[in-house]
Amino acid sequence: MTQTPAGFGITLIGDRINPGFKSTRELLECNDLAGIQALAVRQAEAGAASLDVTIGARAQSDPQYLVIVIRAIQEAVPLPLCFDYPDAPTQELCLRTYDQARAGGQLPLVNSITEDRWHLMELYRLRPFRVVVMVSERVENGVARANKTAADFASTAKRAALRLNRDYGIALRDVFIDISVSAVVADTQGMHRATLEAIHALRADAELKGIHLMGGLTNIGQQLPAKAADGSDLKLALENAFLTLAVPAGFDAVLCTPWRPYAPLPDDNYVLQVYREFLEQSGTNALRVVRKLYRRV
Amino acid sequence: MSERAEQEKQLIEWLSDMREDEAIALANRMLLEEKANPLRVLEVCRMAMDIVGQRFSQGEYFLPELVLAGEMLEKIGAVAKPLIRHSDGPAQRKLARVLIGTVHGDLHDIGKNIVTFMLDINGFEVKDIGVDVPVQTFLEEISGFQPDVVGLSGFLTLAFDSMKETIGAIEAAGARERLKIMIGGGQIDETVRAYAGADAFGRNAVDAVSLCKNWAAAA
Repeated sequence: MTQTPAGFGITLIGDRINPGFKSTRELLECNDLAGIQALAVRQAEAGAASLDVTIGARAQSDPQYLVIVIRAIQEAVPLPLCFDYPDAPTQELCLRTYDQARAGGQLPLVNSITEDRWHLMELYRLRPFRVVVMVSERVENGVARANKTAADFASTAKRAALRLNRDYGIALRDVFIDISVSAVVADTQGMHRATLEAIHALRADAELKGIHLMGGLTNIGQQLPAKAADGSDLKLALENAFLTLAVPAGFDAVLCTPWRPYAPLPDDNYVLQVYREFLEQSGTNALRVVRKLYRRV
Repeated sequence: MSERAEQEKQLIEWLSDMREDEAIALANRMLLEEKANPLRVLEVCRMAMDIVGQRFSQGEYFLPELVLAGEMLEKIGAVAKPLIRHSDGPAQRKLARVLIGTVHGDLHDIGKNIVTFMLDINGFEVKDIGVDVPVQTFLEEISGFQPDVVGLSGFLTLAFDSMKETIGAIEAAGARERLKIMIGGGQIDETVRAYAGADAFGRNAVDAVSLCKNWAAAA
């Protein structure tokens, strides 16, 4: 039986309004507002709790179009929006355009801040919002550094969440920690192991009760073949394998395509077994295990 | 076919079929016991790498095979290189110099590291200057290292602007005409290439190697 991510018991943020998807890019390029609205409705019907929104670089060259797209989406669905821009002027335009009443009174989400992009929080003077904090990097002695270990992810997440709570009064339930779920195909540094360990650690931290732990799943199966060695859909199976381990550990929100037929995998599932084996390995040995995903060796 | 020719054929086959243990054992035997010409063994390894690259381009192989093949080549190289004597022939000349780094504002390094590794094992002299590289650092490194090719890496959408800025600064410094610039990263395509003002973009490490080989051949 298949389920939606909501069937995993987690919050779903729909990721389709993004020109990274070719079909969406075409809708955006043709100014097909009805098509974008239909995409919003389809995601809502598939169980999305909110919708991620980006129209790509056109937001900077043609800001009025961004306003038109946001209004069109809000006319079509009563869901809160998650604005996916790293720069303050574009976020400001999104937040000014957002109509909270149309979203059932729910706050928008700003996706995303990092310790190095903390200046985006100045926008909090405009209006309250929920925050997505990307913890793939931190600031150390004034310099941005990539996080690679579970301790890096967890300490960056905790520092940011408590700072948002202390300095802006943002409730922990309004903080979404975005833990990167990287491509297994290039993971020789144990990033997946670190991600899962950080989820465990953050969920176990009593000071962080209520915080959301989320991530996007589009990278996990990148540059791998379509079919797994057992004949299943490899990308879907990998996403399921990650969720099967991450959700019980405390992962409770996901940025993804809402109608992906997600379901927990049984213990004897081939891809889940290989994924577990991969989690035990580092260096090129991890890649030897990755090969087993698509080739019986 | 002579015994040596058959051995070489076998080595190419095992390397390109990812039979790591057999390939490395055979290469070691050829080098250490049978005193095969180390330059010839490395040449054979590169032929195998070309097959791996072709299989990758055709969708038969994926990133793990590229990296594992590269690792085999490195292991064999570590045995072969100390054995090279002047009488074996001229030392392999580096094809070209490549300077590579992730542009400022972006800390992603996985793709860049793979490209660096693949260029290196394909005979390029590569200098990797890390992540979040300021424009000024690129200019200084170009002036010091004198690369033939500059590779700019970036995964985030905000990297597109950093690439444009970096390439603009290289141009303003009067160094643009002397080198080729390639860009790569998760979302890079022709639109980004045109926006940033690069000469070419690559979707993966094999593309990067092909671009550099073509430019080196044309130079």
